[in-house]
Amino acid sequence: MLRPGTVFGGGIVFAALLSAACAQTDKASTAGLPPAPWISRAIPEGKGEVKTQPDGKKMQVRYKRAPFAGVPQDWSDYRTYAYDDTRPAPPVSKAPMTQVKGDPARGRRLFLSRAQGPCTGCHLIPGADVWPAGNIGPDLSTYGDRNLPDEFIFTQLYDSRNFFPHTTMPPWGTTGVFKPEELVHIVAFLKTLKGPVPPEKDPDRNPDTRAKPVGFGDNLDPTNNPAVLLAEGAMAVWSKKGPAGKACADCHAGGPEKSMKEAATRYPKYVKAYQRVMSIEDFLTVHAPETTGLQMLSQSADNLNMTMLVKMQSNGMPLKVDVTSPEAKGAYERGRASFFKRVGQRNHACADCHTKGAGRGSDKFLGGRLLADVEVGLTKHFPLWRTSQGQVWDMRKRMQWCMTPLGMNMLPADAVEYAELELYLTAFDNGKEMSVPGIRH
Amino acid sequence: MAEIGKVRIRIPSNIKRGDVVRVRSLVIHPMEIVQRRDGKPVDKNYLFIHKVMVEYNGREILQADTTQSISENPFFSFTFKPTEPGMLRITFLDTHGGKYEGTAEIKFT
Repeated sequence: MLRPGTVFGGGIVFAALLSAACAQTDKASTAGLPPAPWISRAIPEGKGEVKTQPDGKKMQVRYKRAPFAGVPQDWSDYRTYAYDDTRPAPPVSKAPMTQVKGDPARGRRLFLSRAQGPCTGCHLIPGADVWPAGNIGPDLSTYGDRNLPDEFIFTQLYDSRNFFPHTTMPPWGTTGVFKPEELVHIVAFLKTLKGPVPPEKDPDRNPDTRAKPVGFGDNLDPTNNPAVLLAEGAMAVWSKKGPAGKACADCHAGGPEKSMKEAATRYPKYVKAYQRVMSIEDFLTVHAPETTGLQMLSQSADNLNMTMLVKMQSNGMPLKVDVTSPEAKGAYERGRASFFKRVGQRNHACADCHTKGAGRGSDKFLGGRLLADVEVGLTKHFPLWRTSQGQVWDMRKRMQWCMTPLGMNMLPADAVEYAELELYLTAFDNGKEMSVPGIRH
Repeated sequence: MAEIGKVRIRIPSNIKRGDVVRVRSLVIHPMEIVQRRDGKPVDKNYLFIHKVMVEYNGREILQADTTQSISENPFFSFTFKPTEPGMLRITFLDTHGGKYEGTAEIKFT
């Protein structure tokens, strides 16, 4: 995996190439250019609209069910993946250390506060009450033994980029998650962390000794994965005549088994008719109303179930998405740029959690969750059944949820930005076998 | 939802003589729940599976009375020890007279 430095360099080269291409190409060629704005065809909760409340406060419309319902904040002030969002990352800043006396007990409470960090999501400290306990960042169990100056630790917490420009650590002070006074308490607490560390009582608490999840068995067994039944239920929609007097079955002869065999291995792909990259979900939102007259809005049950039915016909077949045609290559590069773009209040990029390396998250625990590696494949089992939600989630809802608690307003489920990011992720799965619907926690 | 009354049965692919076999079965069924009006349950013939019967080679090995408190598309799992190869038949009866059957053949390897 590329180091952050290389990534930024690549971005500049890419931008230069892009402007050079713009200068010399004729108007007919749109290869390499960001696609025209797309009007969302998602269900109202999935559109990512920001509405102004009667009290003047802004609020994003989100899904009514958990976990989305549990994030009441609006993050309009922070930048997103949207291509027309050209705001820079929050500038690196410093603050003088507040002249309050640090209280280690209060600092420990703040360190564990789930409403703010929690710091323990990434850094391990001793204590049976410490949960969630993750290990993405350095283990701080004996941090006090380093005898670092208070001022240094404070600035490190306030905005770590002062010392490490490509750090994964969010700029807690710069974006106002922690007040300077609160950071002083945390500094005081960190100074108290001295060895030797008491022996661990619970091996599952410590992310370094915790057992990795083993999965939920055969995901294609209908007695095991409820999503298989939902997908089979889409057969009713397949043969139902829409307002236009036609059903899917009328044009796609031989049932989904025959007509949709291998079709899903090529998605997401650039669709000329709509001049954008589309996943099966995106394509159904326009294809169904144009042919049968039935609405299949993104994130609706019909859309998800039909997507699973179509994708199931490619199970066991290797993915082969196109990333070489000029349009697909441009989209792939933009998807890649999104993957490394820092967004939201926490100033995180997808790459922070899903690539390997020191301070990077893949194969490590973010709190209780083991983070997946982009190279192992993040998309080939989507849409999937989420045992924690009792619901089918497609890749888009997964993306919408990834950043929401980290301080970014979600984009519409069928946004071009997400489609191109999905293309970038799926390219890692090329040659790997599809297995839809998956089953995950 | 897929068609009502479709029965799925899953058994291990590898069964040796003397093994205890775990059978997983599922039937597509709406399993209607009790409706309430003004806080009182509505009196009507609710559609739900009320009996599950399992036969092995014609001999009944399990019978269960079930109620509407079981979920939609109910899943039943049980173990038994087949002494000889044969045919497993699971029958579900519902309150509207529906009878849904599924079979699985058990062979020893």
